[in-house]
Amino acid sequence: MTTVIPFGPQHPVLPEPVQLKLELDNDVVVGALPSLGYVHRGLEKFIDTKDYNQTLYICERICGICSAIHSITYARGVEQLMNVEIPERAEYLRVIWSELARVQSHLLWLGLFADGFGFESLFMECWKYREAVMDIMEMTTGNRVITSMCKVGGTTKDLSKEHIDIILKAIDNLEPQVENLEKVFVNNYTVKKRLVGLGVLSKQLAYDVGAVGPTLRGSGVHSDIRESPSWSIYKDLNFKAVIENDGDCYARTKVRIYELYECFKLIRNAISKLPAGEISIPVKGSPAAGAEAISRAEQPRGEVVYYVKGNGTKNLERLKIRTPTFANIPALLQMLPGIKLADVPVVVLTVDPCISCTER
Amino acid sequence: MGMLNLVLSNFSRKPPTRLYPFDIRAPYENFRGRIIFSPENCIYCGICQKKCPPDAITVTKDEKTWELNVFRCIMCTECVSSCPKECIVISNERAKTGPKEYIKIVTPK
Repeated sequence: MTTVIPFGPQHPVLPEPVQLKLELDNDVVVGALPSLGYVHRGLEKFIDTKDYNQTLYICERICGICSAIHSITYARGVEQLMNVEIPERAEYLRVIWSELARVQSHLLWLGLFADGFGFESLFMECWKYREAVMDIMEMTTGNRVITSMCKVGGTTKDLSKEHIDIILKAIDNLEPQVENLEKVFVNNYTVKKRLVGLGVLSKQLAYDVGAVGPTLRGSGVHSDIRESPSWSIYKDLNFKAVIENDGDCYARTKVRIYELYECFKLIRNAISKLPAGEISIPVKGSPAAGAEAISRAEQPRGEVVYYVKGNGTKNLERLKIRTPTFANIPALLQMLPGIKLADVPVVVLTVDPCISCTER
Repeated sequence: MGMLNLVLSNFSRKPPTRLYPFDIRAPYENFRGRIIFSPENCIYCGICQKKCPPDAITVTKDEKTWELNVFRCIMCTECVSSCPKECIVISNERAKTGPKEYIKIVTPK
């Protein structure tokens, strides 16, 4: 006989408002049913009253952690719609800020994850390192989280020589600290005992259920939007996707840790290649009626898809956003059966759920 | 071994946090603290009102008033960059908290 236990929407381990109805046989999960809709804000409808420049600020507020990449993806969508080509410097600046956002997001996740399996001091340590990145964000853009550095046609902020020196110095400091964290997450006996072999998602299954981001790459599928032809800039910066083959919680953690090094490399390469020139071009006019565009980007949590459609006025006809967590929930449901109730928070945290993103 | 190193090295370090109300870090130069409006050159064209994403600014041309709802303002600086007369600037001083929802500036006739 099975018992149904509700997990969430208010749960001490998981601050995200998602409810999972867990079917338990003694202590082992045999099935899970998600229920969403606790934080729906109707942002896709709300853009009806705003023009395409103002919509950017709404897209930025969909998610607090990946706000930089949300706004960049939206801006790329509208630029595609209006056939605008942005200056090369703006492309590089966008990469620098989006990689900084990825560093802070992964450090935040590592901290939350450590807290999830009961390693409180490691949680504090991760968030202490994250603070250095947040300070860079505040120094260069003016805000810690909602950076508002992107606009349709380029960027609103520029990096000065001093800022670049500070960023490089901060990354040089951060790299040995992340190496220290890597030793704990990858080699520590207690952490390994807790994570290895937990919540396994096979390569074929991960591909079939449409997982994205570190969840997919942790299962051995080679998929990163930064390697696609639409993001040619990452190819110039010598980007290589991080892949792990085991498909368990340990592999997904390793993907995120090794991605941090990849981010540092990308920021260094982008700064060394940063061309001089304009940071934005003025965008006039409005998207043509019926014009459609899809833009995709790799967020810390996975691939985000923006669909924009113009109607001949300043307002957009339709904006549709597919966020990474939305694609990862089916994968999560495949991981849960067979594990113990005490391990559920750890497995749920490994997909890095962001429910405010998902429900928009 | 990594964790033990982290813990032991923390013994000899100062805390990374500050004693906040007594020890306040100076704001960064680019920090978006608060919007400052100076009415001297303003022509009350209303471009800032039109550009404002959260509709926080209200301008009336006849009565020559400029009003900012600070509870709605998101500090995006669209008004600062769009003002043709450069009347709106952003200061890096943090805005003081308080119950006053509106900043209203009326130019005497």
